[in-house]
Amino acid sequence: MWLPVVGLILGVGLGFLFSVEIPLGYVKYTAIAILVAIDTILGGLRAQLEDRFDLGVFLSGFVVNAAFAALLTGIGDLLGLDIYLGAVIAFSIRIFNNAGFIRRDMLAHYLKGGR
Amino acid sequence: MPDTGPDAPASPATGRRVIRWQAAVALPLALVGFLVVIQIRNVWEIKRTLRIPSTQLEELGFVLREQERRRSALEAQIADLRSRLADYEKAAAEGRTAAVLANRQLQDMRALAGLTPLEGPGVVVILNDSTRPPRPGEDPNKTILHYSDIAAVVAELWASGAEVVAVNGERIVSSTGINCVGTTILCNTKRMAPPFVISAIGDPTHLQGYLRRPGGAVDLLSSFDFPVRLTPYPRVEVPPYRGTFRFEHAGASEKE
Repeated sequence: MWLPVVGLILGVGLGFLFSVEIPLGYVKYTAIAILVAIDTILGGLRAQLEDRFDLGVFLSGFVVNAAFAALLTGIGDLLGLDIYLGAVIAFSIRIFNNAGFIRRDMLAHYLKGGR
Repeated sequence: MPDTGPDAPASPATGRRVIRWQAAVALPLALVGFLVVIQIRNVWEIKRTLRIPSTQLEELGFVLREQERRRSALEAQIADLRSRLADYEKAAAEGRTAAVLANRQLQDMRALAGLTPLEGPGVVVILNDSTRPPRPGEDPNKTILHYSDIAAVVAELWASGAEVVAVNGERIVSSTGINCVGTTILCNTKRMAPPFVISAIGDPTHLQGYLRRPGGAVDLLSSFDFPVRLTPYPRVEVPPYRGTFRFEHAGASEKE
């Protein structure tokens, strides 16, 4: 379990190391990126717990989801519509879905393990 | 992890898979950490410097854009007003030169009209009643100066090139008449009594020569024993006309 922790620490460290000012117009993209990343992590965790993790699916999902969400947000900016909210909602739903599955998987795992 | 996993007996294959999974999850985790930290720092910075919650930034941004739009409109207005001001200043400067010219003309006109004190080389003629006592049976009028004597001297001064003439400080202007009212002489509106001091500005030589000519006014007055003193001066001061010009009946003619 050390690699993800290293990754998290690395990210946090980089965040503290470099002071990046996010322009006001790009806050949406930050939100989307964070949601995409969380969604990917939870999806990966769930896949791992269900023993069907695939690196290609994982990485392509991460990249494509992020790209598509960014595209949606960009189109929304172009049209002056908050289309990115759709991505936010979709990712949030997926995150909660995945969280629920992870919870069940872990419950099943621990119950099975405790048995 | 492998110890707690369901497949605890870690085969090299599953171990590699777990490592791969960890590495894969580490990547978005790093991203999340990075973005969250940066976002938090930004929000703190915004709170610290602007003292407003960052969620209102969109609204404030809109307000700011609106204000910037208004400001640029105002700047355009300023530029417009400045250019108009420059135009006005230019016009005023031109107007000023016109006013200066007009004022100079006005000053010349005033000088010609006799409204300004003037000085220059000239002569002063002093006339007085005859000192000779009237002979018995002689008309006493012959020993006193008449308005016609004054008028004659003034006319001769004009004729000899005098530019400015005054009698006893009364400037001779276009409306001046020299007349007699009873026993006094009237010049402009001022009653006068001898001695009469007639000041004239002009070429002293010309004025003297003309006035002293045989048969001239001075010659005539002298021959009647009137004391006439004609003195050239390098500098003669003539006061301005102090009366008024009034046109009650006259108006500007259409003909030039």
